[in-house]
Amino acid sequence: MKSQRALTSWAASLRTQATQLGQIAMLVCVGAVRARRPKGELLRQLYQVGNRSLLFVLVTLGFTGMVLVFQSCLQLSRVTGDLSQVGGEFIKYLVHEFGPSLTAMMLATRVGAGIAAEIGSMVVTEQVDALRMCGVEPVEYLLVPRFLATLAMTLLLAVFGVLSAVMMGAFTAHQTFHVPYSVFLDLSKVKLPDVLTGCIKALSYGAAIPIVSGFCGLRTHGGSEGVGWATTRAVVSSSFAVIVLDFLISALALLSWQSM
Amino acid sequence: MIALDGIRKLHLDPVQPPVFDGISLRIAEGETCGLCGPGASGKSLLLKIICGLVRPEHGTVEVAGRDLGLASPDELRSIQSRIGYLFQNNALFDSMTVQENVAFPLRQRLRLGQEALDEQQILARVSESLRGVGLATHAAKMPSQLSGGQRKRVALARAVVARPPLLIYDEPTAGLDPVTTAKIYDLLGTEQKLTKSTTLIVSSDIDALRRFSDRMLMVYRGRLCYDGPSADMDESASPVVRQFVRGELEGPL
Repeated sequence: MKSQRALTSWAASLRTQATQLGQIAMLVCVGAVRARRPKGELLRQLYQVGNRSLLFVLVTLGFTGMVLVFQSCLQLSRVTGDLSQVGGEFIKYLVHEFGPSLTAMMLATRVGAGIAAEIGSMVVTEQVDALRMCGVEPVEYLLVPRFLATLAMTLLLAVFGVLSAVMMGAFTAHQTFHVPYSVFLDLSKVKLPDVLTGCIKALSYGAAIPIVSGFCGLRTHGGSEGVGWATTRAVVSSSFAVIVLDFLISALALLSWQSM
Repeated sequence: MIALDGIRKLHLDPVQPPVFDGISLRIAEGETCGLCGPGASGKSLLLKIICGLVRPEHGTVEVAGRDLGLASPDELRSIQSRIGYLFQNNALFDSMTVQENVAFPLRQRLRLGQEALDEQQILARVSESLRGVGLATHAAKMPSQLSGGQRKRVALARAVVARPPLLIYDEPTAGLDPVTTAKIYDLLGTEQKLTKSTTLIVSSDIDALRRFSDRMLMVYRGRLCYDGPSADMDESASPVVRQFVRGELEGPL
């Protein structure tokens, strides 16, 4: 009986949270169209999300590209010895799957945590209430510029991340397995559906991260400890959202592009 | 100006009794009311309910003749922008300078079409407001560079800069020294005389609050246990009110 009551209460809480998340997403979309943003805030957020994450994304994807190429070449050299296909397959996989998803995971930790911490601390210090008392909708004022900046920058950073991984992968293949650059950098396997899937994923992640993180930030309560919890929740929930979206978009892309 | 009817607000912990259980009150235009009560009696929460920042489970809240429960989000924002609110923790925007903080309500009212001021007029009004609180030379500073009393005065300047018809002050002198407290009450009095706004003020400094307010309200255990003239509080029939006002150790509190 007790466990049934706990389950009912958990389901009700989940439903409430899903409704609130939906409302925030709706407000963000309406706010993005209404374009009533504070002056210069979008540029500031583009800099915060884009420029400040660039090195982090380049280094992470670069090193991951090196490790993946090294492992692939090592296994293939043991089995077939033919490394001519490694570059092409690696780039294809990078474009439609690995590039946008890993970039988004990095942004979920860096940008998502930042959004939740900033908004969360504004909630606990009553700055969000102060915004309301000045006739401002906090979601529109705080979240919309972050949403637009993350949307644009996730796509751009994914492109830079893919380039970094390709270059570092080509360098690794050349240095350790003597694969010529001209053989590794084979773009013939990358088709339009791969590029489209990668772009759709990057844009979806770019939309999900600020909405989920902002939702966690706006639900903050309980002082600085609450801000800590909100930040943790934002990183976990944003990463989870990226993984779920990755699965859904990959499945849809597979069904759509294959039937074409 | 303000009308609360049968306000009931449940505690976050369902085991606890409700924070408010049927609070009703009317505050007329131009009235100065002080709200007091023991710690954790819900004074700040009541202010937030009046402003529409928190919704009660039961009851209606009317501000300037409009039911906040029935107002659309845009209507609610419009009502809220006509209330000057001094928050307990000041709630100054960390990322803005003192000048930007004080100008913020004016700029938002301009955006909502409630003010017809140009940038020069806004800056002039901000300067006037900052001069009023004695911080004209601190306009370019960030809130983190100010002392507690200075932050409180900036928050006061921000609350009154748009000359709202309703002013709400939540603990305007908490944690301040007696001289700064006297200065703050002097500023509140000047503002009240100047604008004739309806004023509702919460403070733990019961003596200063009674000197400032024409009418006193006291909340205790979810109900209004006193609603009457400030001068009559000492002689209230309620032992709770008498003990609270006299600061006695013995009694029901």
